[in-house]
Amino acid sequence: MTPPSQELGSHLITLMAALMLVVQMLLVVQKMLLAGIRLFALQSLLLAGIAAAAAFFNHASEVYVVALLTLAGKVLFLPWLLNRQVRRIQIVQEVEPLLGAPTSMLVCGGLTLLGYMVARPFTHLGRTGSNTLAVAITLLLTGIFLMFNCRKAVTQVLALLTVENGVMLAAVALTSYGMPLVVELGVFFDVLVAVMVLGILVYRIRETFASMDVDKLNQLKG
Amino acid sequence: MQSFSENWLPIGLAGYVAGVVAGLLFSRNSRVANYLSFGLGAVAALVSLVACVQGLVGGEALVSQTRQLLPSLTPIIRFSIRLDPLGLFFGVIVSLLGVALSIYSLGYARSFYGHKSVGVFGALFNTLLLATTLVFLAGNAFFFLLAWEIMALSAYCLVSFEHEREDARRGGVLFFVMSHLGTACLALGFLLLFQNANSYEFDSFRALSGQLEPGRRNAAFALFLLGFGLKAGIVPLHIWLPVAHPVAPSNVSALMSGVIIKTGIYGLARVFFEFLGTPPQWWGVTVLTIGVVSAVLGVLYALMEHDLKRLLAYHSIENIGIILMGLGASMMFLQARHPLLATMALIAGLYHTMNHAVFKGLLFLGAGAVLQAAGTRNMEDLGGLIHRMPKTAMCFLLGAVAISALPPLNGFVSEWLTYQALLQGFSVTPGLIRVLFPLSGAMLALTGALAAACFVKAFGITFLAQPRSGHARQAREVSSPMLAGQGLLAAVCVLLGLAPSLFLRVLDPVGRQLAGVAARDHLVTGSGWVLSGVAAGGGTVSTAGMTILALCLCAVPLALWWLLARRARTRIGPSWDCGLKGLTPQMEYTATGFSKPIRMIFKALFRPRREVQREYDFSPYFATTVRFESHVEEIFETRIYRPLNWLVLAVSRRLRALQAGSIQAYLIYIFITLLALLFWTL
Repeated sequence: MTPPSQELGSHLITLMAALMLVVQMLLVVQKMLLAGIRLFALQSLLLAGIAAAAAFFNHASEVYVVALLTLAGKVLFLPWLLNRQVRRIQIVQEVEPLLGAPTSMLVCGGLTLLGYMVARPFTHLGRTGSNTLAVAITLLLTGIFLMFNCRKAVTQVLALLTVENGVMLAAVALTSYGMPLVVELGVFFDVLVAVMVLGILVYRIRETFASMDVDKLNQLKG
Repeated sequence: MQSFSENWLPIGLAGYVAGVVAGLLFSRNSRVANYLSFGLGAVAALVSLVACVQGLVGGEALVSQTRQLLPSLTPIIRFSIRLDPLGLFFGVIVSLLGVALSIYSLGYARSFYGHKSVGVFGALFNTLLLATTLVFLAGNAFFFLLAWEIMALSAYCLVSFEHEREDARRGGVLFFVMSHLGTACLALGFLLLFQNANSYEFDSFRALSGQLEPGRRNAAFALFLLGFGLKAGIVPLHIWLPVAHPVAPSNVSALMSGVIIKTGIYGLARVFFEFLGTPPQWWGVTVLTIGVVSAVLGVLYALMEHDLKRLLAYHSIENIGIILMGLGASMMFLQARHPLLATMALIAGLYHTMNHAVFKGLLFLGAGAVLQAAGTRNMEDLGGLIHRMPKTAMCFLLGAVAISALPPLNGFVSEWLTYQALLQGFSVTPGLIRVLFPLSGAMLALTGALAAACFVKAFGITFLAQPRSGHARQAREVSSPMLAGQGLLAAVCVLLGLAPSLFLRVLDPVGRQLAGVAARDHLVTGSGWVLSGVAAGGGTVSTAGMTILALCLCAVPLALWWLLARRARTRIGPSWDCGLKGLTPQMEYTATGFSKPIRMIFKALFRPRREVQREYDFSPYFATTVRFESHVEEIFETRIYRPLNWLVLAVSRRLRALQAGSIQAYLIYIFITLLALLFWTL
């Protein structure tokens, strides 16, 4: 592999990571559930692209598997599952965030700043896609923010998935070969199972409380 | 070369395990489970007893050898056994009681046939014996805490064994909570030592030997004093003892009072004398003061009890106090560089540990026999049992004499040694602090006198005169295994009293290990029959000589009778009944009445409260019904524990606001923690 091509790969990965961040911001201000699911699918597609790029430019063929799994699982299967879920339980589409859109944007901006500050020791290294660590940490932080900002259970599942995307991004981009395949597979199936369980739970919550609002859960407290 | 005890101890331990397994396997058949599990327990205890005694008496080379009992899991958690004199000595105590209690249990467990699982009972009992033995033998802090916890948990299960009764559940929970508070302190203490020693082995703690900076060392002292003191039941950490011990089955009460609380003494001796180096003076003063306070308050509260088993439990607090007096004095002598006196005080304390285990075990077994025969622990409902269960009464009387420190039994020997140590402390300690020694001696004398009064009451009200209730009237002597268990301990009481020099051979290696001097040659004169205080001015005493003298004196009244009244006519008539028509149980002294003078003298402490309600028709002198109530305030519960309890609950109520039950709130907590950690790294 010639150096220009390496550099191209690095640029490509950074670009896609930046796009992931943009998508995340859109997700934060998004008000409609179905649109949110689509945004998540888009973000996962970008992640799959990053994995593929990393595999291509580093000649690490097993990372292709990661890319494929991401494509199959997070771009196609999980969004489909969530879509079905949302349609089946016929909830009001609108999410009701704790903080309004402008405030959320401000907070997320602050979190992004924090992410870059924390990742600075690594971004100085100048390795392939080292900027992506900052993006990964930001995804993680904003994901958690998203989790407590939304009251609907399905949105929290989405937020959890974006957190997982962040973790995966860090794994793929930083270690250039990805983590060992077994680990990746493990994480992947973990998330898959978690989402399915959560989906069932959401259904049950809906049945019991006639709402998906997790605020109602405090009635369970003794 | 493998020594005798190394070969036999594992066999004893395996015997306990077999007892556990057998109890669980045959839990469907009560009779088989009873015989197998308690029988195996008795054999295992006997084997361990022989191994421990042999290890102490025969093995010079046994000073701190470490062996692995099981292959270790990780480098830190090692199951190492350390055969050293202190551990083996306590092993002797637990094994000795194990033999007697297992035999007793063979008969006692019959009362559970049909409505409780005897197999589970036997399994738990063997687990408790095994864990306690391992506590004394463990050579690694991890292994020690593991055994300690198994001991606490199995003891909890046994205390609450009759869980259909509410008081058993409450007592169990209180024991459980207090025990874990203590364990928390111990874990912290061991971690402190670990930070300096970089290993959890006791050997490396020993090598540390007080090379800690003073602050850390004092912190370790306080933590261990709290942790082990809780288990030992020192005042004011004693409140679980009179609640938990009486509600347990009686053989378990005997084991708890006899051995389990001694694990605290073992821990204190192990840590203060071996790990923390030469103690500063205030440590010794603290321990001695705690001992004095525990002894006096324990016996005072015991006097106020009418519940036979609660009374015995309070006496355990008293005796722990006496033991701690010995340990505290020993620590002060070590600091003042009087190793011989230190050894003597230490031996006095440990001797009393052994004695208390034996006679308190015996008394609890007697109380258990009474409880089984008469169905009540309330002394006001008992009486006259000496005619109905004479053998139990004899054994109980022996135990009562021993615990009252009357010669020639074993309680006298150890308390005499403690006196000697305390009295000689005055002349060898510089400074004003030496006033503490005669003061403690006086308090010890007070304690002994009050204990004697208390056991006059306990024995007199329970066994003498006429029965005060139908239950007591129908009492029958208990089964022969139960008598055998009591008889064995009674015999040991006599033996330890009459031949202290034999037993000092067992104690001598311990003194040499902890205080550095072999004191037996100084303590024993007159070819083994006379005990002497070590210093020139110290007294001498011979219990065997006293006994022979007493037997000779017995001849005097016989001779007088033969000389003067041989020919007199013998007339048998009723006791004097003040001119009334016959004696009834209502005329008897009650336990409350007997202790009234002491209640009045110590009014400031007890704050007695009594209520009398009488109803009458025409004249106040002819009441139709009288209701009488009398209470003694448990000052530690009302003044310390209740406010503390209230405070904890109030704080918890505030903290509960954190746990809002809302997922958002929990997520925000996680988020804030994450952010804080990230900022920390910046």
